[in-house]
This record gives sequence, structure tokens and C-alpha cells, in this order.
Amino acid sequence: MKAIYIVFPALILLSAACSTQPNGSQLINKDASLPSSFNFSKMGLKVISTAINKKNATMCTLYGNELALKTAIAGNAPQPGEVLAMITWKQKEDEHWFGAKIPGELLSLEIIKTTGGQFENIKANYQRYEGKLLTLSNDTTGNEKSMRYIFAQQPSVMP
Amino acid sequence: MSLEAKHRIRRIIIPGVLVILGGLILIQFINRPVFANPPVTGDFQAPQDVKAILKRACYDCHSNETNVRWYDRIAPANWKVAEDIKKGREGLNFSSWSALAKPDQAAKLWEAVNQIQAAAMPIKSYQIVHPGTKVSASDLLVLKNYLTEMLNNKPSDTSKTNALDKQYGKWVEGAANAPKINLPVALNGIEFIPDYKNWQVVTTSDRFDNNTMRVIFGNDIAIKAIRENHINPWPNGTIFAKVAWDKLSDKDGNVKTGAFKQVEYMIKDDQKYGSTAGWGFARFKTPKMLPYGKTKLFATECVNCHRPMSKNDFVFTLPVKN
Ligand code: HEC
Repeated sequence: MKAIYIVFPALILLSAACSTQPNGSQLINKDASLPSSFNFSKMGLKVISTAINKKNATMCTLYGNELALKTAIAGNAPQPGEVLAMITWKQKEDEHWFGAKIPGELLSLEIIKTTGGQFENIKANYQRYEGKLLTLSNDTTGNEKSMRYIFAQQPSVMP
Repeated sequence: MSLEAKHRIRRIIIPGVLVILGGLILIQFINRPVFANPPVTGDFQAPQDVKAILKRACYDCHSNETNVRWYDRIAPANWKVAEDIKKGREGLNFSSWSALAKPDQAAKLWEAVNQIQAAAMPIKSYQIVHPGTKVSASDLLVLKNYLTEMLNNKPSDTSKTNALDKQYGKWVEGAANAPKINLPVALNGIEFIPDYKNWQVVTTSDRFDNNTMRVIFGNDIAIKAIRENHINPWPNGTIFAKVAWDKLSDKDGNVKTGAFKQVEYMIKDDQKYGSTAGWGFARFKTPKMLPYGKTKLFATECVNCHRPMSKNDFVFTLPVKN
């Protein structure tokens, strides 16, 4: 009997009319979004890996240019011409899925650019942008450690 | 009452009511569904309070212990109830629970609690007629606590590290080789798209419910839609690729990606994929990219799980702009 296909869509329509559909901008994760003026996506970087720090309740994603990705996959020492970028967020509960945490407040964006010759002659320029507005930080303490951490990331397997 | 009004009652309303009543009586004899309770083969086990909630609210459609009330047997309601029981048991049946593998049991429970939280279950129309099936806020908390207590927060054991090491060597070799030909195809015709890793990121996700972590990539159409806030509904041509890895956590709580588990695609085309909520679903498991699903209908499962998001074009993901 196919009468249910007439009666119940009507009921469903009725109930749907009583609940509103969120518009697109309400569904954007604004806490975690980068300022559009930063134009991060225009850098055209690819994902190298992603990681979580349970103690700090943070999560990060490491990006790199073609060369950085290749070097990381090959397990080689850094080459001149690499660009690496790591974005770190505080975690928050996923309001759409009990059982998931997603990026919350934007904490930092670190960018490394390598220049110079091979091996010990290689230079790495490190910049750290902080907070919701990604303001450039002048504090250089901990830069070495952060760089080592970024270079040490093993790429995530993406067949 | 005027004479004219009395006439109207006699001439229109009374016959109308009689016709409706007659119709209702007649349909009682049409295609009467048989309500049967097949044997319980392996009932769901949980602490008393947890089980009581699910039994009361869900077992009518998700078990072989359906309690059909007399008013459920009246047409046209009986057709709908019978249909719900049939479909409900297909997707989730607490009476054959023990036949599910442990991780599948856990996945179903998290999904069930999420369906309740999103007010998608129990089905609204059913709950109105059967107020006893309502899940209160405190009931929901009992269920959530039960799930949270079952989580394993220990550092990963060596088997997970070994699984990654095994994959990693092969992947590194393969990554240097030429692109694959003869790409795997899911049963609904969707082909594995190797280019996903060159796309931009929509978001990442830490799935503590099943110990995986994810990156969700979007193709250019998806990323443009996010930039313009045109994501409800998403435009045709949108593709998401959701990549999942095991979580590898050390004793200090540093978690990195372990073995690659799967990549899942959602391809928006409201014409072509009209029967599955406008999205083409596909899942390819392990680095061998084995298509998921036993029959072409596997995507029903995808849609059923995504249904609580029907107001968000069936998408859970909350995109991050970058
Ligand atoms: C009136 C019958 C009915 C009741 C009561 C009901 N469900 Fe359902 N459920 C269904 C139907 C029918 C489906 C298939 C999808 C659809 O049509 O919405 C379903 C689908 C589901 C699914 C998705 C299964 C899949 O395919 O993966 C879950 C999970 C679920 N229900 C959980 C629950 C929980 C938890 C409760 C109790 C709180 C509940 N349901 C109560 C009828 C019911």
C-alpha cells in the first residue's frame, strides 16, 4: 500500500515547516577560521600531517609545499626552498557529533622557509603568528624547539 | 440556528463524515501488515539503567520485541508503523546485537546516542503517539556517561605502531612511483579519487569515539562555497574526502596519525544522487582501497546515519575558513 507515501510526506513537510534551516554562515566554524586577509589558502600548501596534544587539548595540522612534502616523505634532511606551515587550535566539542573534537580557538600559525645551500649551510627562517588575528610575534624564545618539532613530524599516510 | 444552516449540515457535512468513516473502515481491510516478532538471538547487554532507556524508547522498531499497541494496528497508521519496524530493524537490531563485532557495536551505540541528541530518534511522529518513548535530558546523560566510561584512554600498544610501520614503508615507496591506473570503484559506480590529497582542508576531527583522527578535504567547488558561505545547501559538484587514521598516542598524550584506515567521499549531485539525499557516498578501506559495501544499497546506511543533519544538507562537518 503506497498511501503512506502520500500521507506521511505531508506530515513530514508539516514538521519540517516548524523547524528552521541554519544559513550557510551559521555553519562555518568561526572560532577556528583564519583571518581571510592572511590568504593562507593562496600559499597553495598541501597537508603533511595532523596531530593532537591531549594534555593541552590542542590539535594541529602541518602543511608544506611540494618540496617540503617530498623531503618529508623521503625522510631526507631539509632542502633549501621548503615552506612548512603549522596551524594549531585549542580543541572544542563538535556540536554535531558527540564523540568528536574539532578545531576551536585559533592559537597560532608557524611558518618555516628554508634558504641557502645544502646541509649545514641551510638556513631556516621561522615566523610565528598568534591568536585569532594571527599577529606576528617578536618573541624568539622557543623558536629552535618549535622548528625541530615541525621538521620531526612524520607525514600521515595518504595513499 | 437558521434553517439554512441546518440544511447545510444535513446535506454536506453528514454525508461527508459518513464517506470518511466508510473510507476509514474500508482501508482496514486493505493490505493489513502482519506484526511478527522473530526470535531474539543475542540481546543487547548493558547496565540496567542504560538498557531500560533503550528498551523503552527504541525496542519497538529496533528489536524483535516490538510492543504493538491496538492503535498501531489501525490503518493508515499500521502501514507506517510496519514500515518503520521493517526499516528500523534493518539498520539496527538490538535482538541480534551479539552478531555484531565489538567495534561495530560501539559504533552503533555512538550513532544511536547521536541520533537521540539530534532529536532524530525516536521518530517524531511515533513519539507523539507513544509518549513513553521519549528520551529525557537526564536519560541522554545516562547514555552519554555510559559511552564515555567505556572509552580507552591508554597509550596505544605496539600493535598499532607495527601496523603503521608496515604501511609506511610501502606507502613511501609507492608515493615515488607513477600514478595508479585501474582505480577501484564502489558498487554505486563512484571511483576512488587519488587527487584528494592535493585539495584544501575543510576541517580536522579528533574522533575519540572510535580512536581515529581525520582530515576532511574539499575540492575547489567546496572551498569556494565555504569562502562564500554558500554551504546550505552545498552546490552540485562539491566533493569531500574524509581521511581517517588510527590514533597513535604516547604516554605523554601526544597523538599522531597511525595506520591509514579509509577515505570516504561525498559527491554532491542532487539529480544523479537524488535517491541518497543528493550525495554520492563511497568508502575505500585500507591502502588497498577496498570499496565498502556488499550491495549497491550500502549507501542507505550512510544516509540513515547522516539523516540527523538533514537541515544542514546531510553534512556534519563545520568548515574552517583558511
Ligand atoms: C517508530 C520506530 C522507531 C523508533 C521508536 C526508533 N527508531 Fe531508529 N530508526 C527507525 C527507522 C525507520 C530508521 C531508518 C531510517 C529512517 O527511516 O529514518 C531508523 C534508523 C535508526 C538508526 C540508523 C541505523 C542505520 O541504518 O545505521 C539509528 C542509530 C537509530 N534509528 C536509533 C534509534 C534509537 C537510539 C532509538 C530510541 C531512542 C530509535 N532509533 C527509535 C525507526 C525507529
